[in-house]
Amino acid sequence: MVKAVRGVLVECEPAIKSILVHIDSLHQHEFIIEDLDENHLFVKEQLVQALKDKLEERLKETYRPEDPLEDSD
Amino acid sequence: MPPKRKAPGGQANAAKAGRVSAMSTPGPATPRSLDSSVMSDAEQDFDEDVSEAQRQREAMLSKEANDFVNKFTLGSSRMRGQTGDNEGMRSDSATPFFGRRDLSHLRLKPDHQNRPLWIEPHECSVVLERFHPLAEQATDFLVTIAEPNSRPRYMHEYSLTAHSLYAAVSVGLRPKDIINTLERFLKTGLPDLVRTKIEEYTRTFGKVKLVLKHNKYYVETMDAQVLQTLLKDEEIGKLRVHGSDKVTTSHAPTLGGLVIPGTRNAAGVHQANLKQAQLKPGEAADASNEADLFTALNEEDDDDDKEAVHAFEIADADVEAVQKRCLDIGYPILEEYDFRNDDVNPNLEIDLRPNTQIRPYQEKSLSKMFGNGRAKSGIIVLPCGAGKTLVGITAACTIKKGVIVLCTSSMSVVQWRQEFLKWSNINPDDVAIFTAESKNKFSGSTGIIVTTYSMVTNSRERSHDSKKMMDFLRGREWGLMLLDEVHVVPADMFRRVISSIKSHSKLGLTATLLREDDKISHLNFLIGPKLYEANWMELSQQGHIAKVQCAEVWCPMPPEFYDEYLRANARMKRTLYAMNPRKFQACQYLINYHEARGDKIIVFSDELYSLKQYALKLNKVFIYGGTSQAERMQVLENFQHNPEVNTLFLSKIGDTSLDLPEATCLIQISSHFGSRRQEAQRLGRILRAKRRNDEGFNAFFYSLVSKDTQEMYYSSKRQAFLVDQGYAFKVITQLANIEKTPDLAFATPQECRELLQRALVDNERGVDDDVETDDLFGKVTRRRGGAGNKKGAGNGVRRTAGMLSELAGGQDMAYIEQNKAANKALKAAAGRKKGGGGAAAEQSKFFKGIQREKEKSRARAG
Repeated sequence: MVKAVRGVLVECEPAIKSILVHIDSLHQHEFIIEDLDENHLFVKEQLVQALKDKLEERLKETYRPEDPLEDSD
Repeated sequence: MPPKRKAPGGQANAAKAGRVSAMSTPGPATPRSLDSSVMSDAEQDFDEDVSEAQRQREAMLSKEANDFVNKFTLGSSRMRGQTGDNEGMRSDSATPFFGRRDLSHLRLKPDHQNRPLWIEPHECSVVLERFHPLAEQATDFLVTIAEPNSRPRYMHEYSLTAHSLYAAVSVGLRPKDIINTLERFLKTGLPDLVRTKIEEYTRTFGKVKLVLKHNKYYVETMDAQVLQTLLKDEEIGKLRVHGSDKVTTSHAPTLGGLVIPGTRNAAGVHQANLKQAQLKPGEAADASNEADLFTALNEEDDDDDKEAVHAFEIADADVEAVQKRCLDIGYPILEEYDFRNDDVNPNLEIDLRPNTQIRPYQEKSLSKMFGNGRAKSGIIVLPCGAGKTLVGITAACTIKKGVIVLCTSSMSVVQWRQEFLKWSNINPDDVAIFTAESKNKFSGSTGIIVTTYSMVTNSRERSHDSKKMMDFLRGREWGLMLLDEVHVVPADMFRRVISSIKSHSKLGLTATLLREDDKISHLNFLIGPKLYEANWMELSQQGHIAKVQCAEVWCPMPPEFYDEYLRANARMKRTLYAMNPRKFQACQYLINYHEARGDKIIVFSDELYSLKQYALKLNKVFIYGGTSQAERMQVLENFQHNPEVNTLFLSKIGDTSLDLPEATCLIQISSHFGSRRQEAQRLGRILRAKRRNDEGFNAFFYSLVSKDTQEMYYSSKRQAFLVDQGYAFKVITQLANIEKTPDLAFATPQECRELLQRALVDNERGVDDDVETDDLFGKVTRRRGGAGNKKGAGNGVRRTAGMLSELAGGQDMAYIEQNKAANKALKAAAGRKKGGGGAAAEQSKFFKGIQREKEKSRARAG
């Protein structure tokens, strides 16, 4: 029997794609249906918003270091 | 035998005395290991061997300083006071967006176009229109009363802080003058909030001075009322020296005959100066006579005499207590040294050479220091390469007393001595060096000692020689203490230096008065206020330092690298964004481009692994902590003089005090997090470019940043200081024609993956000489390098099955050294030049002899 899953095509930069894949791997691969190529991903429709939020969080981290500055000399 | 220790019972007394020097601190309560009793003279870590009692004391002092600093920062409750008048406030639909910053109630003056200043009352910040015709005057004034925050080309922002106003008062400005001048330059009326702040600061600051006169400490004030307050204070009143119940009063000092040598003024009055020099002893006698005369007078009579100075004596031991108490009651003490009337300490024969002319900004900074004919303690901030050393030397020539110079490394110790000999006519025997290697004393009764911070603060047992030397340093009074690169030294260490060596005045020199941990305000309090800060842009326009084009190059991370980056730990992340192949290509491209233009290039990398990889791959010379001294010299010499060697890779040991005037281009591939200071110091390496005065010459500063990584964040943070100095960073997202570079490294995905694998494997194994210390405090990395090698060898052992003949080349196995370091090529070249047989020829007879001995003994044993 054929099982259909509704999905959304996500187009993004390679770096963002890397982050998305990374998030996916941290959550038992529940977001991504198929990794298409460097710039495209196929994502479960009902989880798109959740993934977006996770990405936002992640990006904030990138521009703010996780650990405080160790500039003590 | 272990060294003698005092009984721990002395501890309580020492603490009570309020002034504990590092050496007199009793031994630690915990027993020491045996080898610490071995006389060690090496420059060691300063912290590990400080006794517990002292550490506690330092922690306490540092906390107190923190509290004090906080008390005087703007916005603290003490300084906020009344919230000003909000009557004229208009409100419209935009008002809520401004909040407290709605300044529409400040009415513009009718002729506001003719005035260059804006003011923000809550933060006390002043904005200057630099393009205004009156900007010059306004700048001069603002530099005196405020601290520069940001100075781009057209708009400058200054802020009025406690310390800046304190400095203004100390150069003789009165609150009335400050307020009037501000009123004159401001486009709006001076807000009451600011007016009260200025009045409050200036009322308390700078009123009380601590003067060392005839080797006794006096507390001095111009205001009889303040004097009464101090004397009535229960703590200070007690500390006054008994038997000198009378309050002495004398005339306020003026600039009088004091001429800072090297200035135009000095050249003009050279003749007169000679005469004055003869007169001086008489003058001094007069002054002391007068003082005696006034001693007899009753203090009440002096109230109306505005120019009179009231003073009372305190004992040496109580100085710190009095200082602290004065802070508590809101009269911070200013330290001044009346060196012209100091006839106890012998004069030093020192003068600038007649042909030495100091630059206008150097003169300005010194005139702040000697504003009223006495030497004030404080900090002078000049960009790298703008002649800080000469400022220090000129100050020494003005004071003409014993000088102690403290620098950060033994390398700069030697440089300072050379500079002294170059610029002044001092007798070479009078400039002595105190380092681990040499411990000289000057021949005469006074002189100059150049040493490092670590030599002076080292509280571990020392060799007999250096102990004697320290006692010598402690046992005498110094006229001037010059503190080079003050920003690098921890405040605790300063406290130790300052408490152990007695000096009348202190002058701190630095290019970047900032620290990420915000402890810089402690310096204000330990050394003195910031006396002068030069404007980088102005100096580069006048050609004193080079013009620099700054650029930030964004390099995208290839997907494989980025995937790995997301998974990696913090340290691996640093390695990965430094090893980004796109960054590597950008670096290669920039090196090619600038070498073709005839530039000499320095590439900085904090990350040792990538430093080596880059240098080996590109076949360039490199220097890092583990490079031996001889190799360093060889590489540097070649970089300076050899037209074949145009690119030098440096780790962070090259950040400060490395003088390479040939360098004209700088590329940064990895750096120390968000350190603004490092960025500025590195830029300093190219500011003194030799060719800076060529027509249309520009130096280049590139910072390579991996996109989408933390480096982006750090990079913007790092640039903050330079941007405030008026530098603009261009962002380059794509280097033109980069793909056409011949032999472009890592051009194929295959190569990229290999690089990634190698980086991961190498770093997993832990290339442990990664940990590098700064050269700064003379912790020579030799020791570490040695340890690293040993460990590396241990890890490198591999067990495989094979034939013995394989190793010898029997199975078509051959060895070649790939990626030979360019350093070695240099060495080989040097060897060839020396003539003949390579390494063997280089060995001296002595070493050959030793070798022979060794071989013999080995033969005997085997």
